Amino acid sequence: MVATTHDVMPDIELYQPTDEANALSLASTLGEDGWLLAGGQDTYGWLKDRNKSPAAMIELTKIDAWKGVRETANGIEIGALTTLTEIINDPLIKSRYGLLSMAASRVASPQIRNVGTLAGNLAQDARCWYYRRGLDCYRAGGNLCYADAPESLNREHALFGQSRCVAVSPSDTAPALVALDATLVISSERGQRRVAAEDFFVGPAVDIEHMTILRPGEILTSVLLPNSWANAEFYFEKVADRNVWDFALVSVAAAMKVSDGTIQDARLACGAVEAKPRRLTAVESALRGKPRNEATANQVASIATQGARPLNYNHFKVPLMENLVKRAIRG
Amino acid sequence: MGEIVRYKRDVWGQEVILGVSWDLLWVVAVAVLVLLAAHAIIMAALANKKMDMPSAEGRRVSRHEAIDRAFHWIMALAIFALIITGVTPILGLRFAWLNLHWISGLILTFVVVFHIIRSLFWQDFKSMILGPKDFGEPFDSSLKPGKYSFEQKGMHWAVTIVALTVIATGVLLFMQIDTPFWDRTNSMPESTLGLVFLLHGLSTLALIALAATHIYFALRPEKLFYTRSMFQGWISEDEMKANHDPSKWAPKEAE
Repeated sequence: MVATTHDVMPDIELYQPTDEANALSLASTLGEDGWLLAGGQDTYGWLKDRNKSPAAMIELTKIDAWKGVRETANGIEIGALTTLTEIINDPLIKSRYGLLSMAASRVASPQIRNVGTLAGNLAQDARCWYYRRGLDCYRAGGNLCYADAPESLNREHALFGQSRCVAVSPSDTAPALVALDATLVISSERGQRRVAAEDFFVGPAVDIEHMTILRPGEILTSVLLPNSWANAEFYFEKVADRNVWDFALVSVAAAMKVSDGTIQDARLACGAVEAKPRRLTAVESALRGKPRNEATANQVASIATQGARPLNYNHFKVPLMENLVKRAIRG
Repeated sequence: MGEIVRYKRDVWGQEVILGVSWDLLWVVAVAVLVLLAAHAIIMAALANKKMDMPSAEGRRVSRHEAIDRAFHWIMALAIFALIITGVTPILGLRFAWLNLHWISGLILTFVVVFHIIRSLFWQDFKSMILGPKDFGEPFDSSLKPGKYSFEQKGMHWAVTIVALTVIATGVLLFMQIDTPFWDRTNSMPESTLGLVFLLHGLSTLALIALAATHIYFALRPEKLFYTRSMFQGWISEDEMKANHDPSKWAPKEAE
């Protein structure tokens, strides 16, 4: 439904559980009708424009168990409701997993980072403006993509993995978590399941109406960062139209294990080029055993954009992505 | 529940057709299940315990040539793949279904075109024509058919109409997606697109009902010899004489 009026706030049942069991029970009971609310920075835009109208909302911010950073035997565990500002400033994350701090520091604006949570940043919906405008496109359950027609404005849209829908993953922290080989913990009344960050996100070929594998009744409750990538060499860069309060046109996150100037192992992911963070496995393979320098960067970076299918107005993303990958490798 | 057509707002805010309501999938499933179960019960009640089944032994006559059997099974596999890849995502299964769907659709299109050409020029097309006389067949046990019975002709023409509709609408929808052969233009008007989706959905539902019915009859004990002939190509002379009129169908001996 296209928003045409801005009247009063619609009626929404608000639930504010204070413990995990209650939250999971509510999520299970309400199912698809239970909209999960954390920082609200994705939610309030939808509500303000009257383009989503959830019957009930489960506010999760009162659940302390899903907040904060804890050290574990295998690395660290970050509560999914930890705010982005807390992640930026946390000494453990800063010292061992600076890539995540860097990525979080580039999300939106300081005000949004103060309330926005890691879970919210990861699970936020697509920012395609046709979709957010409330048009009944593929992602909204329709049978058309308004962003990929002859006259569509699509400079922000996907280079890869287009399958009817051409929206991209807007998350800045998602590529960082893929590069850090993070594991995401998803809880529900039935128990917990753990998935690699890479597998948490889903493209339109598999599920055109969702950005993640989260199903009704499930809540993303924590993120685990493994010791194996602690203190690696990191690189994060995001290019957007504005330096603050804007979504990436392309971003790159890289983690590399370098010994005597030679790359032993690497994980790279790009944001805003596909509906999920695009892991650059071919680039990673090409980097192993090579020196981390300009020559390697020049030699390998073009692999990153192989298979790109630009739309009418986003051809610029191809050299942009290639250059960002080059800069990430060069360091 | 209750609606047949789903609607949406187009880019101008006008209400246009979105497609078929998939609630109908359950209606079709239940209806087919009930009807086939009822048929099975009635047939069981009417059956003579010592039913005289014609012998499969003795002289064999050819019913389906190898190329026609191959066509049938390729078409069956393609339709099965199309139904699975088209319907299971609607039921909530998440997988990359679209490529599998259009590849199966292309295979179905090619084999159907092949079948149409072959049936018009190399097969006995007249044996499949459904004429007014055929309608008396179910009510008069003395009337025996030629190669195909009234029910078989009816099923064939129903599948023909439904399959051609699903193929025609499928090809139009195929042109709206990116493929290795072209980039989509996204230029079909939304109202036309909705109508095509509606016809594709309705013909899919009909195809599911027909496929279920066809499989049911293929597994009925008194029809199993037809199913065997679709694997092996022959029926026995006894089976032919018990179910067909030799003056209307004179098959050659099976090799």
